[in-house]
Amino acid sequence: MLLLHLGAFHLDIDSKQATFWHSLAPRTRLLCALLMVFAIALTPNGRWWTWAIYGLGVFGVVFFSRLTKTVLLKRIAVEFAFIGTVLLGTLFRDGGEVLWSWGILRITSEGLTVLGSVTIKALLSLLTLNILTLTTSVPALLNALTALRVPPLLVATLASMYRYIGVLIKEFQAMRKAAASRNLARNNVWQRFVIGNMIGTLFIRTFERGERVYQAMLARGYQGVPVVEKVPSGGRRDVFVLTFTIVLALLGQSIYLPH
Amino acid sequence: MVKTSSVILDNLQILMHHNPIIIENLTYAYPDGTNALSKINLAIEAGERVALIGANGSGKSTLQLHLNGIILPQSGRIKIGKWWVDPENLRDIRNFVGLVFQNPDNQLFMPTVWDDVAFGPKNCGCQDEELVQRVQQAMMMVDIDPERYGARNTENLSGGEKKRIAIAGVLAMKPQVLVLDEPSAQLDPRSRRQLIELLKSLSLTQLVATHDLDMALELCDRTVVLSQGQIVYDGATEKIMSNPDFLLQHSLESPLSYSRPYCLLKDLPVR
Repeated sequence: MLLLHLGAFHLDIDSKQATFWHSLAPRTRLLCALLMVFAIALTPNGRWWTWAIYGLGVFGVVFFSRLTKTVLLKRIAVEFAFIGTVLLGTLFRDGGEVLWSWGILRITSEGLTVLGSVTIKALLSLLTLNILTLTTSVPALLNALTALRVPPLLVATLASMYRYIGVLIKEFQAMRKAAASRNLARNNVWQRFVIGNMIGTLFIRTFERGERVYQAMLARGYQGVPVVEKVPSGGRRDVFVLTFTIVLALLGQSIYLPH
Repeated sequence: MVKTSSVILDNLQILMHHNPIIIENLTYAYPDGTNALSKINLAIEAGERVALIGANGSGKSTLQLHLNGIILPQSGRIKIGKWWVDPENLRDIRNFVGLVFQNPDNQLFMPTVWDDVAFGPKNCGCQDEELVQRVQQAMMMVDIDPERYGARNTENLSGGEKKRIAIAGVLAMKPQVLVLDEPSAQLDPRSRRQLIELLKSLSLTQLVATHDLDMALELCDRTVVLSQGQIVYDGATEKIMSNPDFLLQHSLESPLSYSRPYCLLKDLPVR
């Protein structure tokens, strides 16, 4: 999700608000979001009422956390453009009644159910994750991951990715300007060749930079494993919200239990 | 100024090691066989501020990386404080010698300023209140307000700020020796001035590799000139700066401040 918004590299535009949602520890927010995404994604196709309940929860957070809705919508729109191609594939599948056919293309009732289900799943999951990234800064999310016992080395890798992606973009843009200033020809094939070379150069530079960063880490006493800080345990609010999320997830599933 | 700092130094020398850096017969060759350093002998006393000058590729950075044990001596030996540089003592040596890299982008790798300054002390096992104190102190020393900068992303800062934060990250480890690689490179005049004042105010032993000879003249009484991996001069800064022929011979040039007061043709560094 980071990669999609490179142009505007300010992800957490709503992280400074003071609402109930913002008062929760970042790891609680992360945990709730992940729980919701799993619950949404693991619900079998066609269980519309379950998603209706989850939707209430997700839209509730959108409303109460006072997000900038336009930005949320824009991000969802961009991300949906990518998911759209995947969704299209789910439409044309066998099973159920044939509702419409043209040559080998057939739309069946089963296909429509799958399309509808996957669309809702994608929409709700994206909403949840976008709420999380809009309201929580990346360093806070990384701390949350450490607090949730994600291996520290993995978190450190993510942290340096976040730190250096801006540097890499700047370096690439500088190379592009340098090429343009020496009249990079408009010939398409040549241009692709040059950009390919730039990416190669960028890769080598990244490698060298990695080496130097590692030296700088060693110089400050790095011993191969990042030091994990102690984190304060969650408050009553965090426990309440987590319990509420779990209850909501179970409630959504329980609707279809009698069947 | 010189007098007051020397008084402070006298007080500090009780705590400081007498001869923090001793290098004996150090030789280093790159994997491709190029000789980077040959037969380096150097001793630096506590509280000394030494300029390390030389052309590009003369071995300045390689020598500096040795002082922190990033590169281990191939032949010859180095004593830092009371420890010989070998794999067993690296932890102590790295707490003793603070290395400030040329490009702050390579040194500031944590997401926020606070995390980055706290990186070194955390590795030494510093925690809680002590950690907070150390980070705050280090940031105050380089004139970076912890409140204002702490949560900021290290990426969106000016060159001067990045440089000072990089120095803070090293100071937070409470080293006794500060080794800086071209500290004034890519700084605007004001940031450069701030940096010079900062280095002047720090009563640590300092080894400053630089092409900025005006800064070397202002900061350091002693200068070491490296040329093709060898020490060709080790002595008073003033003396070497007023010898344009020697400097030219080693791809260097007299500092501007030397030609400025006279502005005579005969004082031109290049004839």
